[in-house]
Formats: sequence, structure tokens, C-alpha cells
Amino acid sequence: MSHFLDRLTFFRKNVATFSDGHGVVTNEDRQWEESYRQRWQHDKIVRSTHGVNCTGSCSWKIYVKGGIVTWETQQTDYPRTRPDMPNHEPRGCARGASYSWYLYSANRVKYPLIRRRLLELWWAERANKGPVEAWAAIVEDKAKAKSYKQIRGLGGFVRAKWDEVEEIIAAANVYTTKTFGPDRIAGFSPIPAMSMVSYAAGSRYLSLIGGVCMNFYDWYCDLPPSSPQTWGEQTDVPESADWYNSTFLMLWGSNVPQTRTPDAHFYTEVRYKGAKSVVVCPDYSEAAKFADLWLHPKQGTDAALAMAMGHVILKEFHLAKRSSYFEDYCRRFTDLPMLVMLEKRGNAYVPGRFLRAADLQGALNQSNNPEWKTLAFDSKSKEIVVPNGSIGFRWGESGKWNVEEKDARGGEKTELLLSLADTQHSLAPVAFPYFGAEAPHSFKTTDHAEIQERQTPVREIMTKDGPVLVATVFDLLAGNYGIDRGFGGGNVAGSYDDNAPYTPAWAETITGVPREQIITVARQFAENADKTHGKSMVILGAGLNHWYHMDMIYRGIINLLVLCGCVGQSGGGWSHYVGQEKLRPQTGWTALAFALDWNRPPRHMNSTSFFYAHASQWRYEKLDPEEILSPLADKSDLPRSLIDYNVKAERMGWLPSAPQLSSNPLHIAAAAKAAGKDVATYVADNLKSGALKFATEDPDAPSNHPRNLFVWRSNLLGASGKGHEYFLKYLLGTDHGLLGKDLGHEGVEKPEEVVWHDEAATGKLDLLVTLDFRMSTTCVYSDIVLPTATWYEKHDLNTSDMHPFIHPLSAAVDPAWESRTDWEIYKGIARAFSKVVEGQLGRETDVVLTPILHDTPGELAQPFEVADWKKGECPPIPGKTMPAVAVVERDYPQTYAKFTALGPLMEKAGNGGKGIGWKTEHEVDFLKQLNGTVTKPGAALGQAKIDSDIDAAEVILTLAPETNGEVAVKAWEALGHITGRDHTHLALAREDDKIRFRDIQSQPRKIISSPTWSGLESEHVSYNACYTNVHELIPWRTLTGRQQLYQDHKWMRAFGEGLAVYRPPIDTKTIRPVEGRLTEERKSVVLNFITPHQKWGIHSTYTDNLLMLTLSRGGPIVWISEDDAKAAGIVDNDWIEAFNSNGALTARAVVSQRVPAGMCMMYHAQEKIVNVPGSEITGKRGGIHNSVTRVCPKPTHMIGGYAHLSYGFNYYGTVGANRDEFVVIRKMENIDWKDGPREQVTTAAE
Amino acid sequence: MKTYKILSALLGYPDVETLAYAEAMPEILRQENLLPAEQQAAVGKFATTLARYNLLDLQEQYVALFDRNRSLSLHLYEHVHGESRDRGEAMVQLSELYHLHGLEISARELPDYLPLFLEFLSLLPAGAAASLLSEAVHVVAALREKLRQRGSDYALLLEAIESLAAKAPDVAAVAEVLSTLQPEADGLAALDRQWEEEAVRFTAAPRPDGTGAASACGR
Repeated sequence: MSHFLDRLTFFRKNVATFSDGHGVVTNEDRQWEESYRQRWQHDKIVRSTHGVNCTGSCSWKIYVKGGIVTWETQQTDYPRTRPDMPNHEPRGCARGASYSWYLYSANRVKYPLIRRRLLELWWAERANKGPVEAWAAIVEDKAKAKSYKQIRGLGGFVRAKWDEVEEIIAAANVYTTKTFGPDRIAGFSPIPAMSMVSYAAGSRYLSLIGGVCMNFYDWYCDLPPSSPQTWGEQTDVPESADWYNSTFLMLWGSNVPQTRTPDAHFYTEVRYKGAKSVVVCPDYSEAAKFADLWLHPKQGTDAALAMAMGHVILKEFHLAKRSSYFEDYCRRFTDLPMLVMLEKRGNAYVPGRFLRAADLQGALNQSNNPEWKTLAFDSKSKEIVVPNGSIGFRWGESGKWNVEEKDARGGEKTELLLSLADTQHSLAPVAFPYFGAEAPHSFKTTDHAEIQERQTPVREIMTKDGPVLVATVFDLLAGNYGIDRGFGGGNVAGSYDDNAPYTPAWAETITGVPREQIITVARQFAENADKTHGKSMVILGAGLNHWYHMDMIYRGIINLLVLCGCVGQSGGGWSHYVGQEKLRPQTGWTALAFALDWNRPPRHMNSTSFFYAHASQWRYEKLDPEEILSPLADKSDLPRSLIDYNVKAERMGWLPSAPQLSSNPLHIAAAAKAAGKDVATYVADNLKSGALKFATEDPDAPSNHPRNLFVWRSNLLGASGKGHEYFLKYLLGTDHGLLGKDLGHEGVEKPEEVVWHDEAATGKLDLLVTLDFRMSTTCVYSDIVLPTATWYEKHDLNTSDMHPFIHPLSAAVDPAWESRTDWEIYKGIARAFSKVVEGQLGRETDVVLTPILHDTPGELAQPFEVADWKKGECPPIPGKTMPAVAVVERDYPQTYAKFTALGPLMEKAGNGGKGIGWKTEHEVDFLKQLNGTVTKPGAALGQAKIDSDIDAAEVILTLAPETNGEVAVKAWEALGHITGRDHTHLALAREDDKIRFRDIQSQPRKIISSPTWSGLESEHVSYNACYTNVHELIPWRTLTGRQQLYQDHKWMRAFGEGLAVYRPPIDTKTIRPVEGRLTEERKSVVLNFITPHQKWGIHSTYTDNLLMLTLSRGGPIVWISEDDAKAAGIVDNDWIEAFNSNGALTARAVVSQRVPAGMCMMYHAQEKIVNVPGSEITGKRGGIHNSVTRVCPKPTHMIGGYAHLSYGFNYYGTVGANRDEFVVIRKMENIDWKDGPREQVTTAAE
Repeated sequence: MKTYKILSALLGYPDVETLAYAEAMPEILRQENLLPAEQQAAVGKFATTLARYNLLDLQEQYVALFDRNRSLSLHLYEHVHGESRDRGEAMVQLSELYHLHGLEISARELPDYLPLFLEFLSLLPAGAAASLLSEAVHVVAALREKLRQRGSDYALLLEAIESLAAKAPDVAAVAEVLSTLQPEADGLAALDRQWEEEAVRFTAAPRPDGTGAASACGR
């Protein structure tokens, strides 16, 4: 009753609170919610990705509203995997998510920029001259040229009109082509897989005019030379999903969670499935948290660790107890049963070259390439057989280039003998080199003799030159590991505790890793592989590959994988994820990128040798080859200095040259005609007589150095340019911080093959053009900066080695401001060039030199000795003992017409790659219908159009087997002809699949299996490298046709690298020259300088990204250990300076327990455009991480004309190692920002 | 209103056309008389001085100042939203405002480019222009301050724009923009301040400006 009147009958109250006061009801205006709703409204979603140098190829949804990109999110619609396998999504990391900042950032390059002084000079000359004459008037006048070159990097830009800069660039290119030759124009762009059309735009233009495309993979030192050495393969690796198939993973010098973020989930997932995880890394990196066991060897000593593990595995699984799986695998798929001839050296022997059919009387009935067919013993008959598959079978005959276990002579089955110890043999002392007795700075040494003789089972056989001793690679390998097999003699270890190379106890001394851990890991690794038939995997990376002797570290690890039968098995193998960014539709792309549709061959150059010579880094070389030669080497006919090795390699056709010869290649054909000789003979004769020389023989001569350089999709001067200060001084001719003296000023011995000028040429480049969307360090130093479209503003293609899909970049919005896509920019330059060249050059005959290339018949050049025509050891024979000589007709005024149409060579000469060729009429026809044909009269009339970037993408997709099933079947058929086996079943199921650009925009598509690659894209297995070698019995593209653990080339043996060995870092000798500048009062410390990839940059964004800078320290940083910091009186966040004779850099210190004493880490590619004060020691602005490095090439990487050791673009060649460097680190006293006017302080950057 | 248009032109990339008209500008400013006398004189002098300079010198200086310095960017939202995702949405809204007035951007520029914004204002009635301008005046004032610190005459133009706004800039707002523009002077503390997220409160009522519980999102 009491509540009746209080209770409402018709209403209820609007309660103010509920849930005991935790909830509140309010009634005010809710219009504010509109803004939230609107914020997530959009007009469209477009699929794109980020392409800094990331292997991610992650799918992103780009939201666009009112023509403006509003935000991006991860896309999750990848094609599914299969039951019991996690899916790929989600992919994409914080770095990628921060990318759209660049789009509208104030840091963006918005307009074409040109150096104002250059523009003024241009206007003055152009007022009364034609473009080419105007350019000539500028660069031929020393004072004028100097006036704009010397202020490079010091600001002074003005905006320019597109047509004006196009004309200037064209004029420079035409002038250079006409005056010095088209090979004086070079272009650098890395990682084509990131945006293959954008790459192709520049390389197509350069290839049409005869310019030089420079490779990146070797220069970045991401190329693992051990891969071509072992497999004849640039790099091929399992996709990240295959980690999930593994049961024992080692993460070795690779930092998956940090640098491969989108893939790391597979690693996490497989750990939940029970896989064991061992992480090897000197510092406590992000990867260490993935470890069941974390091993932290002294940086750079990983080869010692690997050798000791190999010692354990060989002893326990191949000698004491034998794994039948391992034995079977090694017999069938490796060179271990192959026979090596021994050479007498004093009282002992040294391993020589592989025994070949040609060495025996009658060549074992081999009439085709008997010099290139390696031999083994049959285990039953104990007689020598000729196993199928060696490289001699690849060329000149068909049907026997396979790794079936057969004797090629009659096709009978044969089981090869692995060890002579199992049969009748004698013993001989074989000498092996040992390099661990000397090491620079803080690296540990042992006092073992540098020559180690070990008793080895051998057998004498009769060759046509008399009796020789032979041994199997297996027995030599066991000898090299120093295992006591009961043959007597010294230098072998019976126990793991013996102090002898390469026992676990020995490795403990060198690496600091406890021997028990080494033994345990090796044993478990092999045990797992034995039980699972190869599911042990090593993920390895830059932490190992950037050392000078990276191939020794890698081959030490490869030995473990091969000895345990892991390579080519699902869930097993060698997983090198460093920078190669697999360009999956490769053979479709090369046609477009190198203009193979119009003329062949293109000009390619290995960048390491190029920059070594032309940034004058060789003038400061301190490494005497003697220091790294084997104690067993025959030094009599070896060059004396590293540049001499390079010059020799060039003239023998091993390495490419750019510029090529001392004269303009457009004048050679006419001179040959006048002399009444064909061009090749003329070039050979004149090289022999000395009338013609290679440009590298005098890189300081004005006619011999590069003149114009294009840089696009790259930050050459801010990231990858080893020897940064040398670039500044010699190529650019501007302010630099170089502290050392050249060989002339040091008064030491000079190279023999190269002309020495006391005054070196500086400012070699007349024009540096950079295409970028942000003002990178390279842009800051350029003469012309062209604004490019970002990854949300262009159509392009992107593939990765980490997953099997092909992915687009899409133009979500038009390029902002005056930026243009790379395709449109180079199209514009081609148009301007075609116009400017009228009346200057017409139809010209260009003479192009190419080195002896891998995967071509030419790779069978010199089977035995190294004969140098210049020393009179053989005649100069193009393509055999010297570079091949080709004549290419160029119709210069037609350059634009050719650029925008698919040339006739595709139908006439066909297409192909990796030694396989096929016809393309059908695809070309299809492209004519798809893209339309050219109707304008000229060279391209009637050809398929390549007008837009999408047209270009369709050319790639249509021509490549990976994206066109019909081509895939053709390619497998072509390979089957060579191997004698039918492989078409690998692609038949997808014969009708034709992946088009619009298809991948709607969803990433899985590519089609193709013989370009060694793994399969299938519904049953994840992509795994060498899978088709093991399961389809396709040979590896090596001398023996097998995985090759022994390298028998003469130079390999001379440098003691026939078999994997431990080699300490080299002594770069860069500290002593600056010691005089150190004082007692200022504490300092000398540390090994390591440049790993970082969390706040590199993959998918740059280090000037403000979001990432904010999450880090806001500028350049160097990590040092607490001990070293204390010794140098440095506390966290102090400004420090790091320097050596190469130059100096400034940064803040991060003092951390993460870092072991003795080394410091500076993350790669921290540029000098954000928060970099002046250096106290140079007086210039502090440099970048490469200011303290200088490239130092390794002679074994110059070997060519020798099967798998032959040059190929981004395949084999000198690499830019940089981790053996040391720096002095000390705290800075004065922080000078150098931000006054130029007149008062000449700063090194703007 | 030609005064806005003149300021727009003077603040744009120096070109032949602007220089050709520069001599005539003081007279137009005087006729319109929108600017206070002091600013009128200053802008007039800026314009006539400009005309006497070498064009390339002016362009080089302009690129060095405005194209190469994020802290002096003439894109207003660079200083309001910076690298935040809100920037795209803000630009969309600004474009819609132009649309409402029957205008479309024909140049390859972003909607928040100050000279572009000024040209838009030049087409509005004086009151409306002054009131819209006052929404951005704290950025203008901050840029003026930065330019003055550098000793650049461009500060005069910003000061003149400031004087056209209906409201004087909010001192605190200017200080906030300035603090984000000077990370080096204030060091890491400024960066921290800029990036510190507001603590999430679950029970408080939303604020009238529409922020509140969800305010930490989207930073």
C-alpha cells in the first residue's frame, strides 16, 4: 500500500545509474558520434604493399576517401594453406603500418629539384646552344663543373620543370654516349622483386641506350657466395610456412621476430607443436627469446662453431655409428663420393682438382666435354664410373643430365663409394691449411701449426699422364675435420676434449661457447634429421654473411645440413633470408627489364668491383692478399694486390667491366671494319697488342670512369654505400671526412696492373640523378632529384621468398604533387633522349663485352689451369679466355618507340633462363591483343604496346612460367629434354592458369611451379629449396651436378678454401692511422663495428620515419656494452663519435647488457638527415654507418668461367663485406649542429 | 579579397608572374585596407623588395626553408596532426568545405597548403574568411615565431595573416605547436609529451568536444 502511489503506472523513470552505479545513462546530444562514424567511412579500399627492402610482401588494405588516403589495415584474405598448417595471415608489421605517413609528409619530395648552380650554368649555355653542346660547355669547363660538384650535399636546390630536367638528363646522356660511350652511364637500383615494373623502367631505358645496370645483391653483401659455390644457385630458400614442417630449428645470425616480423608466427606456432629451437647470436637479440638454448659465440667466429658441430656429426653419424639415411643421401646427392687427385707437396700431398674423364686413357668413351665430367668408384666393382649429372652432360648432349644413380656409359645402375677406407686402399699424408693461429684485435687464436698433415685413405690410379693418387671428397672432408679414424699419424683428435682443430674443446677456446653445448646441439640436430629424414633447418642471415670470410661460416653450416640430408627435404635445409627478395616471374621480367626484346646482350656490372675501382677505394687497400692465402698456396703466378686480381678476372672474362674498354664502344666496329677484321677478332687482337685496354686498368683516366649515374628505389649514399667518404671524395668531388692516406702518400708498393696517378680524379660523376619520394641522403647529394610515386600511387608487382604469392602494388590515389611513377619518369627521359639525340647519334653499332655467364654453354671455359692471355699462357679467345664480344645495333632516335613496345626478338629468339629456352609466339600474340599494337610508323610499328605500368606488368605475367601455366609446361618440357626425365606433371594441373594484374589486385595468387626455381608450389608440400633436385633428380647446376662441398678451382685451393675451414676476421688496419689523434685525457675504446638490421627501420620503412624515430631514440644510435662504456667513460644517451681511417660518425650511445664486450652495433641505414651533429675529428657533419667502412673484395669471388663459379647478375661476384671493421669510440665534448649559413660553416650535409 | 590572394601568392613558390605583379601589390593592399597599417606597410615592402631579388636566390631560399624543413612546412595539418592518421580525415573534411563553396582543387596540392587555403579565403566574404582563418591562426602564429627565430622576412607575411583572423591566437595552442616543432631544443621530453597517451577513464562523462573515454584511440 505504502508504495502504490509512488509506483508509476504509465511511465518509467529514466534511471541515472545501473549495475550498482557502474553504469550511467545520459541523455545529451549524441551528434558527436557522427565524427567517429565518418572517420571510418571510405570511398574505396585498394590492395597494396610496402617495398623498402622487405621480404614481407604483406597485403594491406588502403582506405581512400575523397581522393585522399585515410588509413591502412592488414588484409587477411590470402589463399588458405591446407589442413594442419597455419594460414599466412595476418601479415604486416608496425613499420609497414607507419608507412602512410610518408604520403603527405613534409619530408616528401614534391617537385623535381635541381642544383641551382647547375641550372644557372645550363640556362647560360642553353640560351645560345643546343642541349648537347650546352652540356658539353658545362662539363668540359673545369671551373664550371667544379662549381656545382663541390657543393653536392650542401643544399642549394630549386624546383624545376619536368620537361627541363628531362632535357638536361637527356643531354648529359647523349653527350656521354657520344663522347665517351654509353657504358659510362650507369644505374643502380636494388631488389627488383619489391616493385619489378619500377625497377624495369630504369633498367629498360639504360639497356636500350647501352648503359650499365649494376647489381645490388653482391654489393649489399646479402648474396651468400656459398650458395653458388655449393649449389650453383644464387639463393633459393624454403618459404616461411615450411618452418612449420621442421622439428629442429636453428636461428643462426638471423633475427626473425625483429626483421621478419610477419613470418615469425610460423616459428612461434611450430614451437607449440614441439619443435626444438636453438638460437645462435652473439648479442641478446629479439631472436634469443625464441630459444630453448641460446648460444652466444664471439661475433664472427661462427665458422669455428660450425666446424666443431660438423666434427661431432661426422664422427657420430658417419664414422662411429652410421646413419643409413645420411649415407644414402650423401652418396646420391653430394660430391662426397667424387674423386680428387692429390698433388705432391714436399713429403706430403695436397688435394688438387677433381679427376675428370679426360684425365683417363680414352676418356672413358666420353666424346662430349670429357674435361667436365667428374668420376667416382662404384662400390661393388670398385672400378671408376662416370656418374650421370656432372656439368659436362648439361651442354652438348641430352638425356643424361640428371642425378639418377647410373653410369653414363651404359646406363647401368651404380652405387658410388663414399670412402676408400671401406675398400682396398693405402694411406698418404695429406696437408690441410689452418688459419686460426693469427687474428686481429680481440679475436682468440690457438697455437696450432698452419699446415696440418693427416693420414688419408688413397688409391693409385693410372691416368693418361701417369699414375696419381686419388681420394674421395668424403675422406678429405673427414681429414679436414681432424677426426681420428685410426689411420695413425698426428693432428687428429680422438676425444672432443683434445685441443686440436676442429674439436668442441678447440671451438670453445675460439668462440667462448662451452663444448658440452656444442656437442649437445650437434648431436640433437643430427639425431632429429636421422629420425625425420631431414627435418632439421638452419635459418641464417646477415649476422654471418657480412663478414669477409662469410663463405667459410656459411659452408661450415651447409656441411651440417648436407651431412644430415636436410637440403631439399620438407621442413629442412638452408634458409638464408637476406635481401634477395625472390623475383618469382623472373624470366618474364628479364625480357622487359633488360630490353631483351630489342637487343641482346645487356650490359651488367657487379657493383662491388665497380665502386671499389671508381670510388677509388682500391687506392687505400691495406689487405695484402698474402695475408689470406693458404700456407700451401703456390704463389708464383698469383697477382700481388686485390685490384690486380680484379683486373685479371675482368680480362679473362670472369667478371664484367664497366666502363668496359679504354675507348668508346660505338667506335670499335668502324675501326674493326677499317682494319678488315671481324669485331671479335679485332678486339682480341688489339687487347693482345695493348692498343685497347680495359677501363679498370686506369680508372683515374678521364675517358675511363663513369660519368652519369641514376639511382632509383635506393638510398645508395645513405644506406648501402660502403666506403661512404670515398664516394663523396672521388665520385662526387665534395666535402668528405676521409682520414686515411692513399698508397702513394703511405709510400708503399702499388698495384702492378693499374696505372697510378699521384693526383687521383675527383668528382668523376658529371651527373647524379636520384628518383625518390623522400629527401634521402642520396637525394641530398644529387644534382637532380625526381619525385616518384609512393607505393600507394603506382601499379606494380611484388613477390617474396617468404610466401608463394604474387602481390600487386596499386595506385590507390594519383601521385601527389608533381611526382610520377618510375615507369612514367623513365618513359619521359626516353622521350627526351630520343628528341635530343636527333642529329647527334643515329643508327650506331655498339660493341658489348660480356663475361662468361653461368647457365650458358660458355661456363665450360677453362677446365684445369688458369691461363691468362696477357701473360702469353693462351691466346685471347672471346667467350673462352676473355669476355665474349657482341655487336649490338642501336637506333638511338627510336629509343622511346622501343621503350613503349615489346620488341621482335621475343618471337625471333624466344625466351628462357637458367639454361632453358622456349618459344613465345603464343604469348606475344596474346599481348598484342591484350595491350593493343603500335600504329605509329617507326621501329615499333605493329608490336605489342607497353604504354602504362599495367601494360608492363602484363608483359611480365604473360611471359613468365610462374604466372602463365602454359609457359610453365613449355619450360618443364624444355628441361626434360636436357635431363631425359618428364617433369611436366609438376605444372600440368595448372596449364590453363593465366594470372593477370587484375587477378592479383582482387587476391594474391599462388604462383605456378617452374624450373627457374628448385622448389615446388604444390598443394602437398610447402616451398622448399632444392626439393626438385632431390625428388625430381634434377642436378644442381655445379661442376659435379651435386651439392658440392669441395671447391677444386685453383684459386679456391690457393686461398685454402677447397673445403670449409675456420678463418678469423681480416685485419683492416684502420685503427693505427688514427691512433695519433688519441690523447690520454680523453678516454676511448676500440671495438668491432657491427651493423645489423633494426626494429625501427629497414624492412618496410626508412629510419627517418617519425613514428619509428619516436619509438627509438630520435636519431642515430650505437649500442655498446656496459663494460666498454665504463672503460670509455660513456653513459647511456651520451653523444659519441666513432671513427677510424675511413671516416667518422656521430651518434648517441645506447649502453646495454644486450651487447657483449668488444663489439658495438650501429643499426644499418641510419641516415645523416636527422639529428646528426658535426664530428669533432673531421670538422664535417658526422657520417653514416658506412663512413667507417671501406669495401675489400675477396679474390675467390672473382673466379669465373668455371661451371657454377661463373658470373651471373646478382649470382656470383665480389661482395661488399663490412663486419671485420674496428672503430675508436669516445664521448664527444662539443655538440655542434652546424646549422649556420654555408659560408661560415661548410657542413657535410644540409 | 585581393589581400588574401596577395598573401597567398607571396607565400607560394616565387615565380616570374608573382615578381611581375609584386610592384603593384602595395597599392591594392592600401585600397582594400584589410590589414592594419603596420602589416600593410610590411607586406608592401616585402613585395617590392621581392621584386628586386634574383628569382633563383628566392627560389633556393624558399626550397631550403619550406620544402626542406618539416618544422616550417606550409601544410597546416603537418603541425596539427603530424604523422597521425587523423590527418587524412582532416584533409578530407577540408576538401568537403571547398566543395560546399563550389570549388575544386585543380592544382596538384593538398587541401591544407596555406597559400591554397588563403586563395580559398580570398573568395569568401570578409567575416567568414576571418572566422575560418581563426581556426588555423595558432599554426600561423607558431610558424611566424619559427621564421622570426630564423631571421626570415617571411615572418612578416605570417604576421599579416595572423592579423586578418577574427580571433587572436590562443597562447597555449601556439605554445603546443611550437613545442612539437622544436623536439631538438626540448629533447626527448618534448617527444614524450607529444606521444604520451591520456589515461583511459571508464566512468567519466564524455566531454562536450566529443573526446573523453575514446580519446586515446587514434593518436
